[in-house]
Amino acid sequence: MRVMRAEPGRFPDVSSRAVGALWRAYDLQLTTYAALLGAVGLVMAYVNTVEAGQSALSSGGVFQRALLWSALAIVVFLIGTVFDYSWIKTFTWPVYVINIGLLVLTKLIGDGVGGSARWIAIGPLTFQFSELAKILMIGVLAAYLGNREGKLDSLGSILGAVLLVVPPWVLVMLQPDLGTSLVLLAILAGMLFMSGASLKWLIAGLLGVLAAIPLVWAYVLQDYQRQRILTFLNPSTDTQGAAWQVTQAQIAVGAGGPLGVGLTNGTQSRGQFLPVQESDFVFAVLAQELGFIGSVVVFLLFIALLWRVLVSAWRSKDPFGTLYGAGVASLLLFQVFVNVGMVVGILPVTGIPLPFISHGGASLVSIALGLGVIQSINIRQQRAEW
Amino acid sequence: MSNPTLLPHRERDRRPIRFVAFGLVMLLVFSSLTLRLGYLQITNGRTYAAKAEANRTVTVSIPAPRGLIYDRQGRLLVGNVPSYTVEITPADLPYGQRDTVSAQLGSLLNMQPSDILAIVDSATGSRFDPVRIKQDVPKDTADIVSESAAQLPGVQVVIESRRDYTTGTLFSHILGYTGPIDATAYAQLQSSGYLPSDDIGKAGLEASFESVLRGTYGQNLVERDATGKDLQVLKTVQPAVPGASLTLTIDSKVQTEALKALLWGMKAADLKRGVIMAMNPQTGEILAMVSMPTYDDNLFAKGISQADFQKLVTDPTQPLLDNSIQSQYPPGSTFKLVTGSGALQDRKITPTTQIATRPYVTIAGTKFWDWNHQGFGMCNIGCGFGNSSDTFFYQVATMLGADRLSYYAHAFGFGQPTGIDLPGEASGIIPSNAWKVATFGQPMYAGDTAWAGIGQGYVAVTPIQLITAYAALANGGKLYRPQLVETVTAADGTVITPFKPDLIRTVPVSAANLQTMRLAARETVTLRHTYNLVDMPIAVAAKSGTAEFGVKDAQGRLPYHSWFVGWVNKDPTSKDFTQTNSQLIVVAFAYSAQTIGNAGTEIAKYFFQEYFHIKHDYLLPQLMVKGNFAGGG
Repeated sequence: MRVMRAEPGRFPDVSSRAVGALWRAYDLQLTTYAALLGAVGLVMAYVNTVEAGQSALSSGGVFQRALLWSALAIVVFLIGTVFDYSWIKTFTWPVYVINIGLLVLTKLIGDGVGGSARWIAIGPLTFQFSELAKILMIGVLAAYLGNREGKLDSLGSILGAVLLVVPPWVLVMLQPDLGTSLVLLAILAGMLFMSGASLKWLIAGLLGVLAAIPLVWAYVLQDYQRQRILTFLNPSTDTQGAAWQVTQAQIAVGAGGPLGVGLTNGTQSRGQFLPVQESDFVFAVLAQELGFIGSVVVFLLFIALLWRVLVSAWRSKDPFGTLYGAGVASLLLFQVFVNVGMVVGILPVTGIPLPFISHGGASLVSIALGLGVIQSINIRQQRAEW
Repeated sequence: MSNPTLLPHRERDRRPIRFVAFGLVMLLVFSSLTLRLGYLQITNGRTYAAKAEANRTVTVSIPAPRGLIYDRQGRLLVGNVPSYTVEITPADLPYGQRDTVSAQLGSLLNMQPSDILAIVDSATGSRFDPVRIKQDVPKDTADIVSESAAQLPGVQVVIESRRDYTTGTLFSHILGYTGPIDATAYAQLQSSGYLPSDDIGKAGLEASFESVLRGTYGQNLVERDATGKDLQVLKTVQPAVPGASLTLTIDSKVQTEALKALLWGMKAADLKRGVIMAMNPQTGEILAMVSMPTYDDNLFAKGISQADFQKLVTDPTQPLLDNSIQSQYPPGSTFKLVTGSGALQDRKITPTTQIATRPYVTIAGTKFWDWNHQGFGMCNIGCGFGNSSDTFFYQVATMLGADRLSYYAHAFGFGQPTGIDLPGEASGIIPSNAWKVATFGQPMYAGDTAWAGIGQGYVAVTPIQLITAYAALANGGKLYRPQLVETVTAADGTVITPFKPDLIRTVPVSAANLQTMRLAARETVTLRHTYNLVDMPIAVAAKSGTAEFGVKDAQGRLPYHSWFVGWVNKDPTSKDFTQTNSQLIVVAFAYSAQTIGNAGTEIAKYFFQEYFHIKHDYLLPQLMVKGNFAGGG
């Protein structure tokens, strides 16, 4: 049980007392859990580099890049914390337009595998702007829905939010990136639900989505995406492709046993039996090397982090803060569920990274930005006295 | 959890129920993931651990060094040397780069790019198994290929051990060669631990002693990644045991002398094919064995090209054929050993029986001529055999009859393989009534039997059969299986199989009758039927043969082979051929000789002179001049 905070500070009064209050309003636990998860990510980057037979700090290696991205993530997190989050409300529309612009740019000049356009090269690094789009959309939706306080149970609010999501969603689907598009939908659903939107309309909308599945299947999904889903439903149809990956991932997880085989001893990863083992399937490596205990510790870290995000959402006097926290929590929960669910074989293969742990700078930096904004929200709450 | 009642002044509804619902979803998500994790890691952890182990480890054979082959004096004849082989792993060669890779590799290896792709595409087995593109690549080229790895995906250079035949062509037919195992052989031998990439003995001793030379492959437990690349050797389950070594009965010095004699004869008489062999009649040990023309086993060891192979196969002189054992020829007069021994043993004649040898005898209305068209007057066996009178042996063969002749021929080892330790030995043909009925549907006619009696007609023998039969004459009647391997020695030096003479049978001809035949063979020399052979400081007993074959030329003359078989006593100067202690018997065969003299005799004489360090004489060079004199003798 957490001790309740003392009187909130009178930010922006600059006095020693105010700084103390500011510090007390700052959620150190949230930062700690995030930092621990980031550390787990660095450990896995190290493991993957060593297992690939490279020296740990080899130039351009996974670990070296992960260190760079972690440093950048810390900077972004601090910037997010220091800046007053209300700027997001002020600049919602420019942010939205920039977001759309970056996605269009990605479509136009981006690179990817097999004709897709997912990332843009910036110097030696590549950046996946669809990752940033998730966090930016959380801000946009929080600002939009926050402004409609009092009218949130109307159909209009729901439709407005949906309309905001449609352009980036379509652009992401065009890349094509099924995973990120699903995350956008999860964020939308989570935020609407937490905003207090009418359950009646939400359920109606859900039914509408279900009804649209056959259309999406026929006209929107790419062949490889359809294949992944079919494979998931009937794994025996494919022995070397997607099902093979899933089988290998489960072998890795299972082989970890209760205690794991030890870091860098993962035979499945060392032998490259796992696909994209530094990113989408990194949890399989982690589960083999750290075992059930290690995996559950990672789950507990995620639960703790989600808990702190939800607490800040609950605490926020500003509806923007509540909705923003709800959005970040939805993002984290959905990505953890879909990624780990894929690795342990209870969900189909989608390219959704595991927050903090999958290698990928855009994901880490975007989440750091989101968490930074949440800390900014935490320390800028004018709390009622009691 | 914050207690909402502690926040009385909230100015808006925070929908606590939705927070609770979100928390429940969280709980559900992490519980399901944890349950699934527990199912995989705790309930089925061992199963998956075993699967992961099976995934990554694979038992890999360790090839055993192949056994070496030495000559009688311990000189290395076959060794193993490292060689560079360029391979392609099809799975690692991206389809889009096939053309560029094959073009670049082709220019480095001096091969057609299309040939490279054809080799890759015709490979059976897994796409992860490397396919040999070229063996025995020079080190410089191998280095360039290795350094160009970035431009040549899927291409690698491996160091393999290959056979090195140190004496080139000297022992080619005897040693044979190894080559890649074919699909049929692999199907049969897979259970014996053969690998699809293995080489296997294909000819000569390499083939007949395959199981001894190969050794026992060991096994390594290897960690392998998903692409089939070896990561590390975990442990050696079973070490490889090198193959055993062979020591031949042949001294390469004697072999060289035999080759020298044969090459001299082939040059002097313009021969295309020939054989010379020497043997110890007391044991069956082969002392020299040369078949010409020949080829170089190293061509095969280095991975023979299709063009080179085609050249060997289509060569009309058939260099790949070991004329000493793999082909059969009419023996001509040398076969009179069988006719004479049989007639003596069956008491059709005695050593003193005199038979009139006229210019010809008439059998079933056909004239059968003596080879000199004159005959030799009244002759006993010594005169008949010594002068090689055909009319003498037509009559003797007729007395003996086809089936008894066949019986004695088989007794001397004709008509069946001798069992020499080489593959592909021919049986020869010995006609009998049963054989002729089975083959032509008719019994032997009187003329057939007469022809058979002088080693013509249907009779066909191999040089190895002839030397084995005469060895039995020389040693007093023991027919030994000819052998090429003196000892089989394990890699640690222990002798696995010491030499032991292998008696096939004792020829069913009495010692006295054999002695009569030996003395008759000495008469061949002393009567100067073999020209000046008698003038050598050693004493030889011998039989020559001129065997017609093929089709008549425009003048009605048949081409003929020249044969010679002869031996010396243990003391080579001893003229007493009642002795049975000979330690050297020689056979020489000149294919399609057509010489005025007997080319086989001259070749053998040359060899005796080499062997006993006797000064070569060329007193009668006209003997080796071509001059088809149409006759048998």
